[in-house]
Amino acid sequence: MSTTTLTRPDAAAARASGGRTSVGLGAAVRWEARKLRAQLRTKALLVGALLAPVAVVVVVSAQSRPPKDTLFGRFATDNGYAMALLVLGFASQWILPLVTAVVAGDIFASEDQHGTWKTVLTRSVSRSRLFWAKVLVAVVFGLVALVLLAGATIAASLVVVGQSPLTGLSGQTIAPHAALGLVAASWATAAPPLVAISCLAILFSVWSRNAAVGIAGPVVAAMVMQLVGSLGGIEAVRPYLLTTPFEAWHGLLAEPRFTGPLVDGVLTSAVWSVAALAAAYVILRRRDITGG
Amino acid sequence: MRRFIISLVAAVAVVLAIGGAVVAGSGGGSTVTRARLERSLPTEFANLYAAQATMLGHRGVTPASLHPTAMCDKGGAVEPDVGPGSNWNCLVSWTDPDNPMPPEGYGKFELDVHTNGCWTAGGPSKLVGFATLTDTSGREVPNPVAEFDGCFDPNGDNSPTGVEFPSLLNVTTTALRPDAQRRVAVQATCGTGSTGCHGSVTATAGDTELGTVPLEVEEEQTATLAFPTPVPAGASEVTFTFHVTQGVGPSKPVTLEMPA
Repeated sequence: MSTTTLTRPDAAAARASGGRTSVGLGAAVRWEARKLRAQLRTKALLVGALLAPVAVVVVVSAQSRPPKDTLFGRFATDNGYAMALLVLGFASQWILPLVTAVVAGDIFASEDQHGTWKTVLTRSVSRSRLFWAKVLVAVVFGLVALVLLAGATIAASLVVVGQSPLTGLSGQTIAPHAALGLVAASWATAAPPLVAISCLAILFSVWSRNAAVGIAGPVVAAMVMQLVGSLGGIEAVRPYLLTTPFEAWHGLLAEPRFTGPLVDGVLTSAVWSVAALAAAYVILRRRDITGG
Repeated sequence: MRRFIISLVAAVAVVLAIGGAVVAGSGGGSTVTRARLERSLPTEFANLYAAQATMLGHRGVTPASLHPTAMCDKGGAVEPDVGPGSNWNCLVSWTDPDNPMPPEGYGKFELDVHTNGCWTAGGPSKLVGFATLTDTSGREVPNPVAEFDGCFDPNGDNSPTGVEFPSLLNVTTTALRPDAQRRVAVQATCGTGSTGCHGSVTATAGDTELGTVPLEVEEEQTATLAFPTPVPAGASEVTFTFHVTQGVGPSKPVTLEMPA
């Protein structure tokens, strides 16, 4: 796959002009994106992100008893906005970490798996540019998947279940127009922790050189954090967990609205992202790749 | 591979050490507190109760007209009122002329509170009705106040609300079981509240006074009150009179029949 560089004019020009670090980040990103697009798995994941929510919404809305044990499940069978929030609550626990890890956990390890590190690095791109290109592509993929999931879920919920005023988390009634904005904003709040999970997956991918560890590692870590975060007595660790920001949207649906957890969540996600990327960067820089 | 496992174990150890230090340094640090629940529950309840009134066609009920207040307690007197759990009880008082409060002045809600500040409350069916209700157009619809979910701000106001309600004392014995000497005992349960149940109980069988025993029951506890004097052979029933100084007792004496 990496042979495609040779055909790209900018890469060829960069090579002609001398130095092996002269390929721009843009070229490296385009090249990584192209590798990603060529994978069946990526396409399947994006199509799944569009279709799976429709199936979930149809199945849940057909239940005779609403799933009351989850937030907004009580209203999910007769209110589309509640359905979209129910799916968000479920997706942020299990689906989002997995979707982003499938790409981010593989993007470095696949070079190890195919033994292509030596090839890509001798082709005029510096190690750090390659690193940032891969990070950018993996993070953008995660965000695209989130947008597709959110769009498909909200559209399917509103079409299948219908639009009626939503009862918020303080018992207030939210008019359909305002509810749509809040539901979309709630889905958007999943973006910072999703980026952080992607970075964690990148760290696992670089560190283990194994796609299976890269994909399963962050998913297991998210599950463990979910469990630890729900235990009583050790709640002091909650602000530091990556799963807490996934619940920050609750504040948007309350009256008066509270955004403290949202701000904390962005901060927590940023710290996790920076730490994971820094560790991954150091590991990759120091690695001896000459062996291939 | 061995290096990878060693680094993984080291990473887990570091995470555990930091987590342990954070927990130890903060003393648990739960954001689930009595004050936050006491602010969150009445606000949501008032909104939903007003919605229920609209469904039932009751006029003049607004969230503001209800003046709801709540006192919350976790696990009775033996547990501190902090942290998640399904053993939170909240006593809620509100003003609805069509649906007056019972003599003790409140209804008891049972709450399951999660670490993230979200909770599920179940209301007392005597005051709020059952899971479904019939609305003005004759349809069976879910009752919004029978069971509802809410979330409070984990960084919200945590100063005490100062709302307190007395415990409610209930006699749970329905049939007397005298012992071989014809002495009797009753069981009493003290409900959720701020004070527990204190006072005294006097038992009489016909003209014979069986004695007066002190009543000292903490909230959410049960006590057995045994009377020293045997019931006279001819007596067919025993009357228990409660003098409750702290808490709310049965307003009328409780009369129980002796087994034949």
